[in-house]
Amino acid sequence: MEPVLLRARGVPGSRSIATYLAAGGYEGWKRALGLGPDAVVKEVLDSELRGRGGAGFPTGRKWSFVPKDHPGPRYLVCNADESEPGTFKDREIIEHDPHQVIEGIAIASFAIKANTAYIYIRGEFVRWATILEEAIGEARAKGLLGTNVLGSGFDLDIWVHRGAGAYICGEETALIESLEGKRGFPRLKPPFPAVVGVFGKPTVVNNVETLACVPHIMTRGAAWFASIGRPRNTGPKLFCVSGHVNRPGVYELPLGVTFREIIEEHCGGVRGGRKLKAFFPGGSSAPVMTADEVDVKADFDACAEAQTMLGSGGVIVLDDSVDMVAVADNIAHFYAHESCGQCTPCREGSDWCADILDRMAAGHGRASDPDTLLRICRFSSEGMTICPLGDAYALPLSSMVNKFRAEFERRIADATPLPQKRLPVLPWTGPRPGFGI
Amino acid sequence: MPKLTIDGHEVEVAARTNLIEAARAAGVFIPYFCYHPYLTVVGQCRICMVEIQGQPRLALGCATPATDGLVVKVETSARAKEAREAVMEFLLANHPLDCPVCDQAGECLLQDHSMREQRDTFTTHMAETRRTFPGYERRLLGPHIVQNQNRCIHCSRCIRFTQEISETAALTYKSRGNSEFIDTFDGRAFDDPMSACAADVCPVGALTVREFRFRKRAWKLSSTPSICPGCSIGCNIFIDHHEREVHRFTPRENPAINATWLCDYGRFLADSLNEQTYLYPQRRAAGHMVRAEWGEAIAALALELRAARPLRVVASANLSNEELFLARELFGRHLRGELAVPLAAGEQRRMRNGKGEWLHAADPYPNSLGARRLGLNVVDGEGLSRFLYGGAGLTLILDAEAHPFLAGAEALQLLRVGATAVWMRCEHPLAGVAGWLLPAASLASDEGTFTSSTGVVQRFAAAFSPPGTVHRMPTGAMSPECPTIASPWGPPGEARPLWLVLTALARELGAPNLDLASPAEVFTLMAQTDRAFAGLEWEALGGLKLDESFRERQHVG
Amino acid sequence: MTTRPLVVATQETTSDVKFDKTMEDRIADVLRRYPTTRAALLPVLWLCQERFGWISPGVISAVAERLGESAAFVEGVVSFYTMYYTSPPARYVLQVCTTLSCSVCGGRELVDHLTAKLGIGFGEKTPDGSFQLVGVQCLGACGNAPVIQINDDYYEDLTPKKLDAVLDDLKGRR
Repeated sequence: MEPVLLRARGVPGSRSIATYLAAGGYEGWKRALGLGPDAVVKEVLDSELRGRGGAGFPTGRKWSFVPKDHPGPRYLVCNADESEPGTFKDREIIEHDPHQVIEGIAIASFAIKANTAYIYIRGEFVRWATILEEAIGEARAKGLLGTNVLGSGFDLDIWVHRGAGAYICGEETALIESLEGKRGFPRLKPPFPAVVGVFGKPTVVNNVETLACVPHIMTRGAAWFASIGRPRNTGPKLFCVSGHVNRPGVYELPLGVTFREIIEEHCGGVRGGRKLKAFFPGGSSAPVMTADEVDVKADFDACAEAQTMLGSGGVIVLDDSVDMVAVADNIAHFYAHESCGQCTPCREGSDWCADILDRMAAGHGRASDPDTLLRICRFSSEGMTICPLGDAYALPLSSMVNKFRAEFERRIADATPLPQKRLPVLPWTGPRPGFGI
Repeated sequence: MPKLTIDGHEVEVAARTNLIEAARAAGVFIPYFCYHPYLTVVGQCRICMVEIQGQPRLALGCATPATDGLVVKVETSARAKEAREAVMEFLLANHPLDCPVCDQAGECLLQDHSMREQRDTFTTHMAETRRTFPGYERRLLGPHIVQNQNRCIHCSRCIRFTQEISETAALTYKSRGNSEFIDTFDGRAFDDPMSACAADVCPVGALTVREFRFRKRAWKLSSTPSICPGCSIGCNIFIDHHEREVHRFTPRENPAINATWLCDYGRFLADSLNEQTYLYPQRRAAGHMVRAEWGEAIAALALELRAARPLRVVASANLSNEELFLARELFGRHLRGELAVPLAAGEQRRMRNGKGEWLHAADPYPNSLGARRLGLNVVDGEGLSRFLYGGAGLTLILDAEAHPFLAGAEALQLLRVGATAVWMRCEHPLAGVAGWLLPAASLASDEGTFTSSTGVVQRFAAAFSPPGTVHRMPTGAMSPECPTIASPWGPPGEARPLWLVLTALARELGAPNLDLASPAEVFTLMAQTDRAFAGLEWEALGGLKLDESFRERQHVG
Repeated sequence: MTTRPLVVATQETTSDVKFDKTMEDRIADVLRRYPTTRAALLPVLWLCQERFGWISPGVISAVAERLGESAAFVEGVVSFYTMYYTSPPARYVLQVCTTLSCSVCGGRELVDHLTAKLGIGFGEKTPDGSFQLVGVQCLGACGNAPVIQINDDYYEDLTPKKLDAVLDDLKGRR
C-alpha cells in the first residue's frame, strides 16, 4: 500500500508548510470551505472513517451529534494525549507531517462550525507541541487559519494545550476537564461532549490520526478511502509495533491485515529468533492474545469478534522469555498509577490487583489469587466505572489470567520470586503523605 | 410526571427526579454514599447500581432520571445485589473497620449499609496490607474538624460542599488513584464559616466535629426539631440531646432556608443551651437576693404590676411569637404599659438555601421579624436608652440578653430608678439592680414559633422539660418521658419558659382570655387576632414530625 | 540535542512569589486563548515551573490569586498531574520509562546501569544536584525502547554506552 498518513516520512524538510503545499496540502481544506459543513460531514460519514484513538466510533457520526441549532461557540479538540502503552503513532505523524493534522483540525472545525480548536497534547511531548505551534504559525501566516480564512468568512483559531502527566486525560471527558483547568476526572455521561463539552459547549474530541485522515478524504474522496481495508473498517491505519520484534516502529497498513503479517512480514519477526508468546493487539488496555491467535485480522470488528480490541493499534509483542506474572504486574501498576481515583471499583481494584501481583511476583502467591484477580476484574469492568479505565485494566488482566492460568498457578505453587523486581514508579508527585519527590 | 415501577411498587414522581429519590417515594431504599440531594451528582461511589429492565448494564440510581415506564429492580435484582456487594468489598478492602472506636458509628452510611444488606454474609478476599495515610489518622484539619483519612471512602462530598455551597473551595483531593486524600492548601487550617458541614456530609468517620467527638454515642441521642437561635435567618436544626443535656445542633432539611446546612456560629451555640446559672426565683430583700417560690413571685409581681405607673416592658427578639404576643396583650393592652423590643446590629451571617441562593441575616435575633409583625415598638440601643430614661414605677426586662446596652453602666444607672424585674438564665450585670430575678428556661425547654427573616413562621419544639419538672405520673409511677432513672426530677431548679409565667400572671391579673394552657393555644388566639398570623395553623407549621427526620439524617450523614 | 538544565530555585524566589512584567505578559497571552480563566491554569503552572523551577506553595498561592481560584483547588490540580515538581528537582531529571515495552526491551539494564553509575536509587538526587533518577509511566515512544526523558527531551533507543555519552555531555555542561 502506498503510504498516506506517513507519506512525508523520510522526505527532507517534511515539516515545513512549503513541502506540504507542494505535495497538494491544504487542497482538502479549500475544497471543504467550498462544500459547506454539511457536505463535509456527509463525505466523512461516507468514508466510514472510524476513530483511531481506541474506541473506533464512526467519526462522521460523532460530528453529526453536535446540535445544529446550538447558539454560541462550539469547540473541536484534537486529542494528542497519546499515553496508551504501546502506542506512538500520533507522535510520528506530528514529527513528520504536522500540517496534515492542522488541516484535519481545520476541516473538522469547519464541519462542526467551531471557531476555536485546541490540541491537547501530553505534557511530555514538549518537542512535538513546539512543532505543532510552529506549524500553526506557518498556516496562519499563509491565511489558512485566523480570521476570514481564504475569504470564506470562516474564522478559526487553533491553540496547543499541554497536559501535565496523566494517562486518564486521554479519555475524552477527562481531557475536557483537564482542558478546563481541573483535575482530570472523567465526567458522567450523558450528557455527551457533543452536547455539553468543554466550557459547557458542544465539543468534538478526535484523535490525531483520525484528523490526519480527514484531509485525504477531502482531497481524494470518500470512495477512495472506503476502498482501503474492508467494509466498516476502512482506510489506512497506523500500527505501532513494539516489544520483541526485529524492526519495531510505526507501520501504515490497511485495516484488515493480519497480526501475523504485521509481526512476521513488516517487523521482521520475533527478535533473536525466539518464539512468539503473546501480544497485545491494541495497547495494553486490550485483552492479550496468544501466539495461536496471530492470524486474526487487525481491524475493529475482527478484533471484537476475537474478544479483544484494536484500540489504538499499539501492538506489543512478547516472546517466550517473558513471564506473564511480570507482564501482569507491570501493567497492573501502570493502571493503579493512572487511575484517577473517582470510582470505587477502579480506585480500589487497580491497586488491589497490583498488590496481589506484587506479592505473587515476590513468591508469596496464594492458590486463591487467580480467582480473586478475576473477581476484582469482573467488578471493575462492564459499566462499573464512569470511564473505561476500569475495563482498561480489568480486561487485559483477566485475559492474562484466563489464557495463561497455568503460568500463574505454577508461580504460586513454586513460591519462587521472579528473577527481576518490578521497576518502581517515582516520584509520586502529590504523594501519599510521607512520600517526597 | 413520569410513572415507573421500582421493585414492583408503582410510583409517580416529578420529571427529572433521579431513581434514588423516586425509589424513596416508592418506599424502596437505594443505598448511596457520594450522592447528596444538594450537591452535584458525581456517580463515583457506585453503590447505587440498580438493574433497569431491558438494559444490558447496571444503571446508577443517582444519575439516572426517572422516565415513564421504567422498570427498576433494586432488592429484587441478583445482578445489582452482586454489584453492590462487590462495591462494598472494594470500599471495605482499605477501610480500617474501627467502628468500635469511631465516633461516626451509629450514623455512618457505610456501617448502616453493611448492617442493612450484608449482616453476617460479608466475606472479603482482601489479603493485602491495608492502605494507610500515616500522619493523617487523627489530624486537626481546621478549628472544628478532625480528619482520619484512613476511613475516607473518597466520595468527595466534603470537597463538593466547599466548592459548591460554602464557596471557599478550601478542601481538595490531593494526589490521585488509591493514594488520593483530602487536604487543605499546604495543610493549613480549614478555614470556612460552615466548616462543620463538611463533617455532616461525610458519610463515614473521616471528618468528625471536634467539639462533639466522644461526647455521646450517636444512638444515645434524641433529636428534637428546633430553630437555630443564632440569627434572623432561622435555620432549621435538630437539638441532639441526652439526659437533659444538649450535645449538639445538626441541620434539619428545609430547602427554602438552609437546605441541609448550618453555619459554625449557630451550630456551636448548642453548648450555651446547657448554661443555667439561675435556678429559682429570687427577690431582693435588704440588699440581698433571697430565694422565693414561683407562687409568691407571681402574686407579688401581679400586685406591683397593678400599681406600676408607668409600666415599661423591655421585650426581646429572642422571644417566641407567642411570648411576644402574650406580653403585648397582657402588659400593653391589659395593663396599658409601654413595650419596646430593642434590636442590636450583629455580625453579618449568611446561609445558602436549596436553590443555591444566599440568605443574609439582618440581625442576630431569631425573631426580629416576628416582633415587627406583631406591631411592637422596635428600638435600637439609643432608643432603648430613651425608653428607659423616663424612669418607671416598674420596669420588666423579659430577656436580659435582649440588647448589649442592658449590660452597660448606663442601663444599670437608669434602672436604679423604680423597681425592676428581670428574666435571665446566665450571669448578667442586671442581676445587680433587679428587684425580682426570674430564672428563664433555655430554647431547649421552650416551645413556640419564630418568624424567619424571609417571613416564614417556624415552630420549635421543647427538647426536654425545664429543670425541676417532676417526672412522676399522678399515680406515682415514673413518667415515660422521664429523662433519667437516676434523677426523675431532672437537675434541680425551677426555671420556666416565659410563656408559662406570662399565662400565670394573666390569671393573677384577671385576664382569663390569656390564661392559656400551651403555646399552641396562644398561637391559635394570635392567628385569630393578628393579621400577620391569619390563616396559619399550629399543627400545619412545617416539618416537626420526627418520623420525617429519617431522610434528613441520612443526608447529613 | 542540547537539553536545557532546570532552573535551580532559591528559597526567596519560591516562598513569596510575585509575577514580574514578563511573566504577566505571558500569562495574559495564555488567558486570551480560553473563554475562562480557570482553563489557563495548566499553562500558567507550566510557565511558573519554567520560571521558578518547581511549584512551591508560594507559587500556588500566587497562581491562585492571579487566576481567582482557591489555593486548595490549584494544589489539587498540581498534585493530580505527575509532571509538576512539588519539591525542588535536580538540574537534570532522568525520567526512565518503566512500562511494558521499555521494561522488556532493555529498560531494566539501563536502570541497573544508572543506579550503579550515579550511585542513587529511584527518587534520589546525586549529591551535586546534577541528576535525579525517576521512574515514569509510558512515555509514548515504545518503538524506540528503552527511552529516557531528560527534562524536556527524549533520548531513545538507548544502550548503557549511549546513555554514558549523554550523561557525560550533560555533566560537563553548566
